[in-house]
Amino acid sequence: MTNIENQIFSSYQKNPDLYDEIYDSEGNVKDVYQKLFDIYGGHSIQDYVNLNSKAKSSFFNQGITFQVYGEDNVQEKIFPFDLFPRIIDPDEWDIIERGSIQRAKALNLFLWDIYHDKKILKDNIVPLELISSSANYLDQMNGVDPPGGIYNHISGTDIIKHKDGKYYVLEDNIRCPSGVSYVICNRTALKRALFGVFNHYQTHTVTDYAENLLEQLESVKPKGVDIPNCVVITPGMFNSAFYEHSYLAKNMGVELVEGRDLFVENDFVYMKTIKGPERVDVIYRRIDDGFLDPLEFRPDSALGVPGLFAAYKKGNVTLANAPGTGVADDKAVYTYMPEIIKYYLKEEPILNNVHTYHCSRPDELEYVLENISELVIKPVDEAGGYGISIGNRLSKQEIEEVRKQVKETPRKYVAQPIMSLSVHPTYIDESESFEQRHVDLRTFTILGKDDEFVLKGGLTRVALKKGNLIVNSSQGGGSKDTWVLKKQ
Amino acid sequence: MLARVANNLFWMGRYIERSEHIARYMNVNYFSSLDAPNQISQDRQFVLRSMLFMVGDPEKDLNKTLQENEVLYKLGVDPDFGSSILNNVKQARENANSARDLISTELYEAINKFYHFVLNYPKEVFVKSGLHDFTTNIAEMSAILRGKIRGTLLHDSVYAIILMGVNIERATQITRIINSKYNDALLAQGSYEDGFSKSFEWSTLLKCAESYDMMRRFYKKTPTSISTLEFLILNPNCPRSVMNSLNQVYKHVKLLNPEKRYNKESTAFLIGRVRAEYEYKYIEEIEQDIKSFIENILRSLEEISNKVDEEFFNY
Repeated sequence: MTNIENQIFSSYQKNPDLYDEIYDSEGNVKDVYQKLFDIYGGHSIQDYVNLNSKAKSSFFNQGITFQVYGEDNVQEKIFPFDLFPRIIDPDEWDIIERGSIQRAKALNLFLWDIYHDKKILKDNIVPLELISSSANYLDQMNGVDPPGGIYNHISGTDIIKHKDGKYYVLEDNIRCPSGVSYVICNRTALKRALFGVFNHYQTHTVTDYAENLLEQLESVKPKGVDIPNCVVITPGMFNSAFYEHSYLAKNMGVELVEGRDLFVENDFVYMKTIKGPERVDVIYRRIDDGFLDPLEFRPDSALGVPGLFAAYKKGNVTLANAPGTGVADDKAVYTYMPEIIKYYLKEEPILNNVHTYHCSRPDELEYVLENISELVIKPVDEAGGYGISIGNRLSKQEIEEVRKQVKETPRKYVAQPIMSLSVHPTYIDESESFEQRHVDLRTFTILGKDDEFVLKGGLTRVALKKGNLIVNSSQGGGSKDTWVLKKQ
Repeated sequence: MLARVANNLFWMGRYIERSEHIARYMNVNYFSSLDAPNQISQDRQFVLRSMLFMVGDPEKDLNKTLQENEVLYKLGVDPDFGSSILNNVKQARENANSARDLISTELYEAINKFYHFVLNYPKEVFVKSGLHDFTTNIAEMSAILRGKIRGTLLHDSVYAIILMGVNIERATQITRIINSKYNDALLAQGSYEDGFSKSFEWSTLLKCAESYDMMRRFYKKTPTSISTLEFLILNPNCPRSVMNSLNQVYKHVKLLNPEKRYNKESTAFLIGRVRAEYEYKYIEEIEQDIKSFIENILRSLEEISNKVDEEFFNY
């Protein structure tokens, strides 16, 4: 089936040790990619370069940029975006979607439990010290009932495909997961640059995210409120995710506020408008727990609202996500996810967990210390790909350093076998050709009072450096449009 | 609407309008001077000084020889000069950024495109040969922005706040331009038989306000001091006139505050009062003392702006 004349892919090199998303093990293009492959193949590299710059200007004009502070000026840059989309067929998507919902629900029940009866700890399914030693456990949340019973309204689940062809979850993000606006902008940019391609595929839309988010946020309104007033709270314009905050506010048709726009009186929250104070019922917050309320958490926070937490405890305002969710998405709790799912839902996990060694357990610590070169060592509480050591990339000396660190503070580390992320053909500027690059997928799941929603799509992140396994944008990653195909 | 965001939108409107007036002033003055009928008006130093005067940064040293490329750079694209076109557009965009959720995607993208155009315009080209291209683009892009404001926003309080900003700024800039050209007309007196009232500078003034053609249609005569000022200050049908701008501000403040009788402390009351004053003025009155008139109107506009601030943005 492979089209040898195919100009763009003629120099594409397939490493047999990697799982390629578009070629099967015999080196043939998979059926689902064939059409796309043919269409792209009709372009020359020069056409492709032109399309690429068109897409870039689409990002500039949409204002989806981040700022780089140089010596004497501030430059705006766009996040690297690849024009060759990733396609997920309906059957695979079904697994991902059900698996994402399952995890989000299990995490929600887990959070309710550890902030109320703590049954799972009493039953010794999850060790008590894991929770009691966690910096993200908020004592203030003990016994607080979040409106609608929901903690993690929005979850971002990071999923990879291993070389065995199965999906594995690498991480659950249930504090303030970001990236959904890129999903939508990637689609917009791809449609502008290559609209013809869409004629050949029945792809699910991704633009319905905001309306679903609003619907679910309204479903968890405080008691006694008829039509809730929802807002999005942002740290401000200089936050790197500000574009996303304003995008979501705009597309939900709600106000985008900063801490200084809100105040609390008699345990109710108000915003300052041109016509005076107006009550606020549901806050989709994009600021971290510590900054929410200077009276309750960090006293130096200028981003939060004094008295907000008291209003929340009284049930007069909803915070999404609830404070204190961070305790459930750290890398130590992750390792218990299969047990957590079984405990609360009486179901088998739909998505695989990567096997994890706990350095806090003496026998496992020993295994880790002996086998660092074959493992990924991760700090339990760092986000954004920081502090990760990949064993087979380390020099002898570096291995020794890691061993020393882990030995000193074992609770801070977990280790996992080195997963081989699948690869996807990605256009590389320097070589002006397509090359294999590792990808992952972040899905976005929303939980409401009695309903849930998973965005049919997701953020496919690409590690642009050759051989790099870390896909976070803060580490130089790019992204791809992700198509979930409709069932025929 | 949040008070803080309203403040930003108000200033977005002002900065968009301001950048356009500066651009047009530079363009019209420079190019009409090239074949001006008298020596003073044709003098490059005269034109450059006039540009600096207009943005409120006049060159005090009368003997200094100004460098054309330096002045153009400063007013057009200097990142370190607060009143440069570049900084005005930057401010407009920054204000739009903070209110992105309230304005339409179409408007935001247009502002953003505008900003990238100004930011990326090669500075050495601009000072050498790009003046016309650059300033015409500014004028066109701000017209597009006004179209997007009118055509894609909901005509509610967000719209009203932006247009109040635009119109207060327009009245202010038109007054500043009048002041600047009045000053030029005084200076250009006496060269050839070009007296004050029939000065070439009045035509230039009208062109700076994009009102030359319509003024000719209205009066069917060569512009004189009195007809030009009457047209640009008092004619309610000239879209750039001070009167028209005040009417617009009044119309939009009523969108924010639809009461019939206004509290004497309100913005609407103050605007109505200023507007009434100009509605019943006649040009001979103004012409007797143009200088005081200009000072008065600028003061009134500032009072209005402060009042808006006090009533709507004070948080």
